[in-house]
Amino acid sequence: MAQYLPLLAMLILATVFAGGSFLASGLLAPKRPTLAKAAPYECGIVPDREPAERFPVRFYLVAMIFIIFDIEIIFLYPWAVIFRQLKGFGIFEMVLFTVAVFVSLVYLLANGALDWGPAKRLMATPTVDPAGARDPRRTSSSTVRRIGPTGKEAA
Amino acid sequence: MDPLFGHGIDLTIVLIVIGKTLATFVVLLLGVLLLIWYERKLISDMQNRIGPNRAGPYGILQTLADGIKLFFKEDLLPEQADRRVFRLAPYLSAVPAFAAFAVIPLGGSVSIAGHRTFLQLADPPVGVLFLLAMSSIAVYGTMLAGWSSGSKYPLLGGVRASAQAISYEGAMSLAIAAAVLIAGTLSTHGIVADQAGKGYLRGLLPKWNLFTVGVVPVVIYVIAATAEINRPPFDLVEADSELVGGFHTEYSSVRFALFYLAEFMNTITVSAVAITLFFGGPNGPEILGLGGWSGFLWFLIKEILFLSVYVWIRATLPRFRYDQLMDLGWKRLIPVALYWLLLIAALRVGQDQGWNAALVIGIGIGAGALAWGLLGLAARTGAEQAAEDALGLGEVRA
Repeated sequence: MAQYLPLLAMLILATVFAGGSFLASGLLAPKRPTLAKAAPYECGIVPDREPAERFPVRFYLVAMIFIIFDIEIIFLYPWAVIFRQLKGFGIFEMVLFTVAVFVSLVYLLANGALDWGPAKRLMATPTVDPAGARDPRRTSSSTVRRIGPTGKEAA
Repeated sequence: MDPLFGHGIDLTIVLIVIGKTLATFVVLLLGVLLLIWYERKLISDMQNRIGPNRAGPYGILQTLADGIKLFFKEDLLPEQADRRVFRLAPYLSAVPAFAAFAVIPLGGSVSIAGHRTFLQLADPPVGVLFLLAMSSIAVYGTMLAGWSSGSKYPLLGGVRASAQAISYEGAMSLAIAAAVLIAGTLSTHGIVADQAGKGYLRGLLPKWNLFTVGVVPVVIYVIAATAEINRPPFDLVEADSELVGGFHTEYSSVRFALFYLAEFMNTITVSAVAITLFFGGPNGPEILGLGGWSGFLWFLIKEILFLSVYVWIRATLPRFRYDQLMDLGWKRLIPVALYWLLLIAALRVGQDQGWNAALVIGIGIGAGALAWGLLGLAARTGAEQAAEDALGLGEVRA
């Protein structure tokens, strides 16, 4: 366990450093809170509603799918350390396990669980008739008002 | 295992540990100070401007000046915030960043006060797992900071951050597992020691894991680690054009400084981990007159090269879109990393057992092609499914 002693020392030192910084800032920094400063940041507008408590379900899905892969990885690490002693049996078992996880990934992908893409892509794009859209009388000289270097319209 | 603890613990050893901890701490902080300056200077060179040039020679003290300034700034606490969690989050971000650096081998072994010890703060038998654990805890810092602010943009930034970090953690862990596979140990010192010795092509190439495992896990590690620490082009967490400052929008003063510090410490740690796992760590030909300390110089050279690449990437690439980010992580990096890992393992065991190498490679390529095809089919079906759902929703709304 002695090998972990320096890690403990580092954790304590880092916590003390962070705590000390807050303490120093508390002593050095001014404290003049106003209502405007304490309001949630909204580019200068007063927010008219609470922050959203619901967000897209895909974020939860990602968290759940992550657990599957985390379990896979947890099993992979001990195997990676001793896979040579386990020989062909270890490889076979790990391939079997990976296939099981891979099939679940394929299932999730096929259900669109990990698809974040914009749906608009597949919507029919409105077709514009190029002949009807362009009026021959409308040219750059008729639609743009020219002003000279003086900033006034030519008489 | 650090030989320092071989014969019990006495006062000298405790003092050495404290000294090493302080030294590592100072090295890391100095590294961050210089890295921030270096990054700003290099990017401004790439963008044809001067960059910081007022504080100290070539503006080298700019970071220090910024840090001191932040101590004198008012520390705001938003009224909507969950006060306790809001105060806790910077700790959760900064402390793991310090701790993760502790297991990085910075050099070979040296003698301090008659005791042999490694030039690395700690060498626990589970070093690599410790790194992964620290990177997972750091996600809590980002997520809780976003959630506890009680404001719109930090919440969105925090949710994005956690989804992004856990998505790329899978790919990162699988890429790291390739290095563990070769060395057969989880100790970082063990992995570096395994990469010493005569290399490939009659010693022309060093025996780095970069060449042993193939380039694929290295590339995957670098991409995934960049996403994990939210650096450009994966900085969607603080996409300033859409989310203001992301999860730390509501943070000011020293609390903000700690997030900033943690971000750059993570950059240093991630580069150092890449060097440790795939680029031979502090291994290199001994530099005359330096003895055990020449490893540290090699480590520094490699680290500076790696950090320059990170800065270069930042200056060059535009930011990803969120769906591209998720697609890259789940549909490309994770399957490829997993496949490559199993392929290396099968080849290694095949070598030991005397299997027919051509047969193993053939089966490997066949299985890979099958899996890739299946994956592509599933992705297409999924995209259609998602589009149908979205269109159906659109009709109801209209």
